[in-house]
Order: sequence, then structure tokens, then C-alpha cells
Amino acid sequence: MAECDAEWELCKENIQPLRHGRTISALHQALCQQHEGNNAALNQKKQAFESELRLYEGDDPLDVWVRYIKWTKQTYPQGGKESNLSVLLQRAVRRFTDDKKYQDDIRYVELWIEFAEGCSDPMDIYRFMQAQGIGTMQAALYIAWSEENEKRGNLKMADSIFQNGVKCGAQPSDKLHVFHRALQARVCRQMMSSMTDQQKDHDDDDDGDEGSAEPQRSSLAELKAKGKKKAVVPINRASASVGYARGLKLKQPLGPKQNSRLMIFDENKNPETEPQDPRLEIWTATPTARAKENEQKPEKWTNVKLPLKSRSGLSVAVPPPVPTFQPFVEEDHQPPAVTPCKINPAVNSVLSARKPCRAQETPLKMLQERSQHTQEAAAEGKTREQSMYCKELLYSGVTEFCFEELRAERYRHKLQSEQ
Amino acid sequence: MSLFGTTTGFGAGTTGVFGNATTDSHNPMKDVEVTSPPDDSISCLAFSPHTMPGNFLIGGSWANDVRCWEVQDNGQTVPKAQQMHTGPVLDVCWSDDGSKVFTASCDKTAKMWDLNSNQAIQIAQHDGPIRTIHWITAPNYSCAMTGSWDKTLKFWDTRSPNPMMSLQMPERCYCADVVYPMAVVATAERGLIVYQLENQPSEFRRIDSPLKHQHRCVAIFKDKQNKPTGFALGSIEGRVAIHYISPPNPAKDNFTFKCHRSNGTNTATPQDIYAVNAISFHPVHGTLATVGSDGRFSFWDKDARTKLKTSEQLDQPITACCFNNNGNIFAYASSYDWSKGHEYYNPQKKNYIFLRNAAEELKPRNKKW
Repeated sequence: MAECDAEWELCKENIQPLRHGRTISALHQALCQQHEGNNAALNQKKQAFESELRLYEGDDPLDVWVRYIKWTKQTYPQGGKESNLSVLLQRAVRRFTDDKKYQDDIRYVELWIEFAEGCSDPMDIYRFMQAQGIGTMQAALYIAWSEENEKRGNLKMADSIFQNGVKCGAQPSDKLHVFHRALQARVCRQMMSSMTDQQKDHDDDDDGDEGSAEPQRSSLAELKAKGKKKAVVPINRASASVGYARGLKLKQPLGPKQNSRLMIFDENKNPETEPQDPRLEIWTATPTARAKENEQKPEKWTNVKLPLKSRSGLSVAVPPPVPTFQPFVEEDHQPPAVTPCKINPAVNSVLSARKPCRAQETPLKMLQERSQHTQEAAAEGKTREQSMYCKELLYSGVTEFCFEELRAERYRHKLQSEQ
Repeated sequence: MSLFGTTTGFGAGTTGVFGNATTDSHNPMKDVEVTSPPDDSISCLAFSPHTMPGNFLIGGSWANDVRCWEVQDNGQTVPKAQQMHTGPVLDVCWSDDGSKVFTASCDKTAKMWDLNSNQAIQIAQHDGPIRTIHWITAPNYSCAMTGSWDKTLKFWDTRSPNPMMSLQMPERCYCADVVYPMAVVATAERGLIVYQLENQPSEFRRIDSPLKHQHRCVAIFKDKQNKPTGFALGSIEGRVAIHYISPPNPAKDNFTFKCHRSNGTNTATPQDIYAVNAISFHPVHGTLATVGSDGRFSFWDKDARTKLKTSEQLDQPITACCFNNNGNIFAYASSYDWSKGHEYYNPQKKNYIFLRNAAEELKPRNKKW
């Protein structure tokens, strides 16, 4: 048993935390499998999910996706590219975008939120969701959205989102209220602490020492100002809301409000330029997903070309000067062994000519194309080209299928159910 | 073989004269129907090699069986024998001496069928369905090459239960072709690998796919000296790429062309794009035939870059095709290819194999050969 625990202990940092926690047995199994490289069983399970996605004929296709994603998260604790988790989320989310049935289904909304959290700009996603009516009746959307705003310091916006949620009647409403009140409390404390500090600043202009003495010790205390200058190293150990824990008697306000001699622009104090309600923009497509690492093709770095030297004058590159000494050569000197090359030199595609960079395929672009297509179709009553095969079935999951694979899966299923 | 000449204009797409609709639409080209066709979709066809007298046709189907017919000179087809697998048969091929037939199936095995004794033994085992099987005859070895959905390519000496060689592929094998000393395998996710078979099989080159969509079928073609020099690759969206391995001018010599699409010139209605299910090269003329999901077959001259002929539309997709050893007979199978999924499958619908005289229609335009 001790060994089992050790396995988990050894790669704690690599394990992505899950909100609902992980089952230790699944975690252990996943880590063991990856350690041993036991891919066959994993591939089989994946194949099973892929075929289930395509062969499912019931009323609740979302359930298959949810289970597939859950299994993926448990099996690949590190996340990462081989889990295909981001692709899965993206596909799942796009698959049911137009499906009214799932718009307020909590499972679907949670998938969206998870997808948004993995994106480079979650705010775009949340706005899109609101525009499309996805999750507008679910408290989870407003909570996550507001939290995102709070992280960025848009406290007013965060508050207005909660108000919007209450107005829409999102459920469960008491949860919504609890989070809203918590936010309001945090905002109040922050404003109060910043106000009291400003007052203190005005009062203690000449006083070089720390203002009111703090009788109690506080751990992780702020660095105290020394001397006449009030300048203090700003400390921002945690997000704004955590500051409350230190008590109201904080001298230094958290966040970008130090060195109060300077008038630092503070968006929370200035009148909001945006209207109170988040604008309902007409979004035709889901915004960009996370910047995909390792999926971009190599491209030219710059357009700068080194100028060719002119013919006159310094035309020839001066060769490096020959050393005046004889480089020492060992007696048993052997030429450096040719580094073993894993790539067969005959396989020359590694160094093939650079192809023009394929425009990064973002979900935004893909959906825009699709919506453009359908818009054109609606407008002109036609589409230019039409594939006469079951595209959706083939490209449903993460990997593609061919017709024969589809048919073979169905045949296998039939065989299994008959046994 | 009797001659049937039906040359109607391209795009006319008649499904039969009123009153004869049922008989014409399943065989609008009025070709010879093979007797006792399989009961389910035909996945593959292969004619016997020239080393054997006469013409014998092998067809594998999704009814788990492999059937053999003798095609007589007067056009009559006589069913000869049948073998079963425990899963649908995906590919068949002949040995070079014409005495054995190799069959690959979804049941993850491949069998060698001795036609003289009518016995079949298992010669290969994979972890997933075997999609392709080809017999290789090299000066220093002979073996069967199997490509599977378990992402491996294995080579089997039929006497041993273990493969003589196993090569890992980046993805599942979708189609392959062998003309010694070259082999081409097209995989899922648009992978394309060329192998060289001299001495022992090894990977020669991985090629960036010339096509943008899923690979569906591949066939190697030869040059005037009868050496394999390139291949034709068909995709799931009505396009075929002609690719030379080492052309003098790749940009000019390699090209793709659209095929198996509807409404070529008519822009008012959307163009329907169908999958290319199989490609076959004429053994003498070097011209090629493609068959598609749209239920048509077409003949092309790749050197003149022209289309030679397109057939009428059958009422079912055409799933397989092949030429006999001297190029006089073109066989094609009409059955459902699963291109629209399970809903469009009708188990009651009859499946056909047709034979057509191919001597004249596949003559190249410029008579380069």
C-alpha cells in the first residue's frame, strides 16, 4: 500500500486539480498505466467511447460526451495534448450549440464553463453564451463569469453580472444570492480599506514612521515603510478578495494603488464608461479557443532579409584567421562518432520546403465559415458544394472514422448484443 | 465477351425509360451480371493473374464470405467455390502463381485459400480488423503484407504464425497497393507512406498528402518500362491525386482532378460531392478507372489528363472494381458503401457485380503506349 501512495506522491504537481476532486483509485490506475505505457487498454476504452458517440441512438447524446470527458479527465490527470481534452470540450460544446434542448442543461453549461476556462479569453465565451441563450437560467454561468471579472479587477462588472443573473431568474437562486453577497462584501471591504488608507495618507503627511501602531502581530505582514519616503514595495500576494482576511487595519491597500502620490488610474473609481448591463452583442460564432501550443506550423520569423553586400569594397566575407598555433590532437583521437540519427535520411520530409503557413484554425473561424455558409444558403437558397456522405458521423469524436470503420463498429455492437 | 455499347452523353443521368425503371436503374450500362452475387455489400474484387489460364474472379463481402467465379469467354459466369470468415471480408488478393487467394477480414485474421484443395488456413493475426492484404513476390522472399486498423503493417511468411516483420504506422491503415518493389499505404488523418520492398520491406518516405480530405483508395501505376513510378490516391470528397515518386518537375507533373461530382456545369444547383471508392489501372493501357459513391464509374487518361468516359448512374454506389490480367474485362460491384451511415442501409436490396468489355474504351487518347 505504501508503494501505491508513493506513486501518487511523486507527481503531485503534474496532476490537474478537479473541482469535484479525484477518486484515488482511478488516479492511481491512471498513473500506473501511464508509467507502464499500457496503451492498449486505454486505446480500447477510447475506441469504445468513439464508437458509442457515433452509434448512440437514444435521447440524450450529451450523456456520452459527458462520460467521455469525465473518463478523459480521470485517465489523464496531467491534462496535456495526448488527452485531447481541449479538443473534446470544443467538439462537445460546438456539437450542441444550436440544440435548444440542452441550453439550460447544467451538464452542458458546465462543459461550456470548463471550455471557457481553458480559453485565452473566457469573457468572449461568456458573452457568446449569453447572446445565444446558453445557460442564462443557470447560476453557474453568472458565478463563473463574475469570478472571471473579479480576477481581472472589474468589480463593478462582476456585480452587475450577478444583478443580471438575479433579474433573469437564474437557478438555483439562493446559491446565486450567496455568491453575490460574498462579492459585495469583498467589494465593500476593499473600498473601505482603500478609503481609510487614503485618509491616513492625508493625515500622516509629515509623519515618517508607520502610522497607528499595530499591537497585534500579523504573519506575512506588509513591508513597513522606513524613513521619510512613503514609497513601499507593493505586495500583491493574492487576489483582491483575500485581503479581507488580514483585517480592516491594513495600511497598504492591495492591488495597484500604492505610491499614492501618483494618481494611478483606477477603473473601479472612475465612472464606468460601459453601461451597467453587459452589452448583448450579436455573436455569430464562438470566439477563439486557447492558443494551441505545438499545433502551429513553423513560419518565417520576420521579413527582414540580410542585405547582400555590394560588389565594391567589402564584398568578400573575411575568413576567420587561421590560428597561429597547432590545435592539440590526442594520439588516439577519433573523429566524433556520427550521432545516431533516428530519422532515416531517406525520409526527407523533415526538411522539406516550408509551406505557406496554414491559417490557424480556430473555432471562431470554423464556426464563422459554417455560419457564413448557412447565411449564404439562406440568402441565395443554395450552397456551393455539398458532401454526399455522413460527415458528422465520421468526424464526431476526436479521431476520424471511415465508412468501413463505422460499419464494422455497428457490426461488432450487434454481435455483442446478440451474445 | 459480347460487346455492349451504350455511350450516352455526360450528365444525362437517365434512370431508365418509364416502365423499365426497375430493371434499368440497377444496370443502366447493360453489362453482364455475375450470377449468385454475395448477399451483402461487396468490399473487394480481384481477377486471377496471367500465370493461370482463364479468368477467375474473387469477391469478398460484408456477409463474411469470399466467392470465386469462373468467367468464361462467352461471358458466362459460373460460381465455383466459397469460403467464410467470422467477420466481414475487407480485402482479397491472389498469389502470383494463381493457386492461392488471400483474404483479410474484420475478425482480425487473414486466411490463405488454396483453390485446388478448397482449404483455407489462417496465416495472419492482428489486434484490429485487417483492412488490406497484398502478396509480395521478391527475388529473395515472398510474403503477404497486411495493413490493419491497429496501426501496424505486418509481413507474413505463410508457414509461420509470427510475422517476419512488423512496421508501426502513425495511424490506421485505410488503403494500400503493392507493385514490387514499391508499396504505398494511405492511413487515417491523411497519412501517406511509401515503402520499398527490395531486400526487405522498409519505410521509404512519408509524403504530405496532396488531398485535403480523408484518404479512401490508392493504386500504383507504372511507367513505360513497367516500373512502378507513382500512385493515384482517391479521397472521400470527389477528388483523385496523381502523384509521382520522383518526378522531374513535381509542381507540373503531380496534379489532382475532380471526379464523381454532380452538376458539373450547372451552377444553379449545389454540386454534390461523392466519395471515390476504388481506383484501378488498366494493365495494358495505363489508363485508370474510378468508381464512386454516386453509382458511376469513369475512365481517365492521366497522361493526356482527360476523361475518357463516364457511365450512367446506377441506383447504388459502386464499391469495388478491378481489371482482369489482360485488360479485356472491367468488373465493378454495385452495393451500399455505408457513405450515409446506418439509416440508408437496406438489407433487402440486391447487390451486383457487373462485367464490361474494357478493351476499347480504355485506350489512351494520345496513344502514348
